[in-house]
Amino acid sequence: MEWTTTVDAPGKTCLMQGNEAVVRGAMEAGIHFAASYPGSPSSQILGMLGRIAPEQDFYAEWSTNEVVALESCMGASFAGARALCIMKQNGLLCVGDALCSCALSGLRGGLVLIASDDPCSHSSTNEFDSRNMAPYASIPMLEPTTIQEAKDMIPFAFDLSEKLGQVVLVRLTTRVCHGRGNVTLGELPAARKPLREIGEWDRMVCINWLHEPMLEKLDAAQAFFNCSPWNHYEGPEGAESLIIAGGTGRLYCREALEALGVQAQVGLLSLVTLWPLPEELLLRRLAGIKRLLVVEEVDPFLERNIAAVVGCNQLQLEIHGRLDGTLPRVSELDPDMVRQALGSFLNLDLPERAGSSELDLPDRELTFCAGCPHRATFFLLKKALRMEKKQGVVVGDIGCYFMAGQRAGQFAFQAGSCMGSGINLAEGLGQLTAYGLDQPVVTMAGDSTFFHSSLPGLVNAKYHNANMLFLVLDNSATAMTGFQPHPGTGLTAMGREAEPMSIEKIAQAIGCDVTVADPFEVEKTTELVHQLLAKPGLKVLILRQPCATLASKTREKRKVWVDADACRGEGCGCDRFCSRVWGCPGNSWDFKNGHAVIDPVSCVGCGVCAQLCPAGAIHVEGGEEG
Amino acid sequence: MISTIELDNKVLRKGLCTGCGACQGLCPYWGSVKGRTVLYFACDREEGRCLQVCPRMPTDLGALMEQSFPGETIVPDLGPYRALYLTRAADPAIRAGSQHGGTATALMELALRAGMIDGAVLTRSRGGLEPEGFLAATPEEVRACRGSSFQIPPSLAVLNRALEEGKCRSIGVVGTPCKTLAVYKMKAQPQGENSRHPERIGLVLGLFCGWGLDWEGTEALVRRHAAPENVSHMDIPPSKYHCLTLDSDGQRQEVNLDEVTPLVRESCRLCTDMTAEFSDLSVGGARSADGWEVDQGWNQLLVRTARGEELVELARKTGALEFKEVPAGNLDKLRRASLGKKRTGVRNLAEKSGSPDDLGYLNPSAAALRRLLET
Repeated sequence: MEWTTTVDAPGKTCLMQGNEAVVRGAMEAGIHFAASYPGSPSSQILGMLGRIAPEQDFYAEWSTNEVVALESCMGASFAGARALCIMKQNGLLCVGDALCSCALSGLRGGLVLIASDDPCSHSSTNEFDSRNMAPYASIPMLEPTTIQEAKDMIPFAFDLSEKLGQVVLVRLTTRVCHGRGNVTLGELPAARKPLREIGEWDRMVCINWLHEPMLEKLDAAQAFFNCSPWNHYEGPEGAESLIIAGGTGRLYCREALEALGVQAQVGLLSLVTLWPLPEELLLRRLAGIKRLLVVEEVDPFLERNIAAVVGCNQLQLEIHGRLDGTLPRVSELDPDMVRQALGSFLNLDLPERAGSSELDLPDRELTFCAGCPHRATFFLLKKALRMEKKQGVVVGDIGCYFMAGQRAGQFAFQAGSCMGSGINLAEGLGQLTAYGLDQPVVTMAGDSTFFHSSLPGLVNAKYHNANMLFLVLDNSATAMTGFQPHPGTGLTAMGREAEPMSIEKIAQAIGCDVTVADPFEVEKTTELVHQLLAKPGLKVLILRQPCATLASKTREKRKVWVDADACRGEGCGCDRFCSRVWGCPGNSWDFKNGHAVIDPVSCVGCGVCAQLCPAGAIHVEGGEEG
Repeated sequence: MISTIELDNKVLRKGLCTGCGACQGLCPYWGSVKGRTVLYFACDREEGRCLQVCPRMPTDLGALMEQSFPGETIVPDLGPYRALYLTRAADPAIRAGSQHGGTATALMELALRAGMIDGAVLTRSRGGLEPEGFLAATPEEVRACRGSSFQIPPSLAVLNRALEEGKCRSIGVVGTPCKTLAVYKMKAQPQGENSRHPERIGLVLGLFCGWGLDWEGTEALVRRHAAPENVSHMDIPPSKYHCLTLDSDGQRQEVNLDEVTPLVRESCRLCTDMTAEFSDLSVGGARSADGWEVDQGWNQLLVRTARGEELVELARKTGALEFKEVPAGNLDKLRRASLGKKRTGVRNLAEKSGSPDDLGYLNPSAAALRRLLET
């Protein structure tokens, strides 16, 4: 698939995924440097860049977090390198300080920052809208409306960045990142721009006297955008109704206009240069318009800012969109929703939206994979906490284990916030022991999250000796986003070997009381957690067991089976403990015969359920060790 | 109503749980930590055995007693009654390290030797601390369990597992009144699914009980006076002494009872059975005119059933037990003490519910209890 990103075939049209198109765009832009921290929906971009970097002779890294990624790109830019930085919406919020400082100091080599948003939070805890960061940091922002534009935009963004000496934000959304479309390839540069030596008196410093020049850069960007071919108008001249669409809204609107047969009555202005708004273009297009519909992903960002333009210029027109309820205030757009909104905008009588199914489908929660060590971890954590005299408090963090807040993890969490926050929320609670809050406090971080943002919190919690248990759920992977390497894995994005970092050594160096255990030894580790909860101060417990998806690739799969005669089934003494409580997808239920079964396709052979079966009815080939 | 939720709401959260262990050892849902019964996960079943055998789920005790014992043997304030003896183990090796006279240990050893039982569910502890349920299969193992504990372990979990494993044809059980009541509830259950064959419970020996103590509180109390690992014996002498005796390193200390009573489990304040009325035999400390110095080496032994009688007669014949004359009036004293605990329990239950008509788990027997206490 990835040949499309490097093939020297200008004019050739290929079917590409949005993320892949961005990679191709980066190649056409001749980047020197790329850095990212994984996060859906844009994780694949650096994954692909890392794989092609050695032969394409540029540098790519999975940084330990987004701040590191952006700042390393800033460093590269100082030497004139073209640097591409990729992160999801949460990452963009993390880099606020770095980004605003970068915007103030300005740049040398082009720096393009891709922020990928996840409307409807398919793979996130939220649907924060990255576009709000552009006005905050006073930087230009673009958003593609097609896969082709996702590719074309990258070289354009680098040119713009270098022209302005400013970082350029490119906003993507899940449907652009994961969608596919035809992309006509452009030319690959014959050679990269040479790097420039940094002289003794060269300066790239964040200092407030650059505030005015920073705003002048934004003015310059607006002048480009006012007459930029990136913004498209389609439809009749002189229409009274106009749609302004951003991002995915463009294609949804096109489809809706066509479906309703109203292309001749309504204009469609698709904006790609979102910040600063191309005000002159807007005023041109709004002249004579009586009704405006704004279609965009998540926040009413364009809607509000266009309303400001309309107000400042005392235009008389109705504005519809997410603010007045023509479109829902939250969540992702879809073609049906846009069609309905357009119908209501145009006062058309549309038939009721048909339900997607007549069948009463069961709700399916997200769950851990079969054999996932997190299932064992949260099972034993629940047991250990139930053993406590006082109700415990569990604070979650971000990773696959966030799903532990649901049935998959025995509804483990009372609180959960952003990445790396668990240890700090727990520290806050753990300090209250001396002030009358007498509850055991537990939090956790995955191995990747540990390196990402738990370290300062761990230092803080240790230094202030909070009463808490910090679990490091070490599955040796950044599993949630697709097994990107991190400093604990001994590999880099470019496939090079590195000295893996030991989490226990780091924690010990900080001065922590560190224990390592295997979550698959359920009974033993339950007892250990119980003992650790009784100890005062900060305790670190590393629960180590590789991610089942990784392990199943290397480990020989053992056969697990149920002795149906021994199975107690729904009877007293079991009540379907394996499939109902333990809940591994490998533990299934034979409705016809009323006993437990192992689903041989899902089961990875970890054998933990055999330890837990109250009747000893589950057997594992070659013993029942976890 | 789902069993685990019902038990959690009606027994655990109400402070009624005695920690007997009858709900444990049956399934992965219930467990115990330091005498506290713990619900790990929610079971979806409506009629669980945990619910059926819990001694603190409402029970018509009169009906259960009539079902379990011949009517003519039942004495209202004492339960089934055939005889009262003062006894002690003949073997001084048993007496050394026993709580009082070693009668229970001697009888269980004998029952095993005589083949009346082939396993015994007992409590094993270290000087009365950190007790655990234990299935003894030999007289030597029985002897290793001698001595009592004020921390009550969930030994019926061991009984449940032993019945499931089916290794024993006839199991003996020694326990406090809450435990023997649970055992008789088991025996009275109709054979259900996953039955544990309660007919294999061959002998029930109850222990007189005033109350049990909170585990962690007891540990802390002992720690204030001695190194817990060196404690060899704990006892409560007659009430006029108003103390708990603590033996460690060959020294006996007296701990003021005021330090101890706050540690009494809430469930024990709500108990109305002092003599373990549901049993074949009941054993407790002796009371006589000879005084505590002598009495602490002897036991009172209540014979309740024919089975119990058979064992006691065997003990007499084989010389396993020594008997001495029971002073006149001892039975009356015992009945008064038994009634006293009933009175206190009923008063505490009524206080807890806020209504003299609501005795919680004793509601089905409330009328009979009231009649008994009014006479």
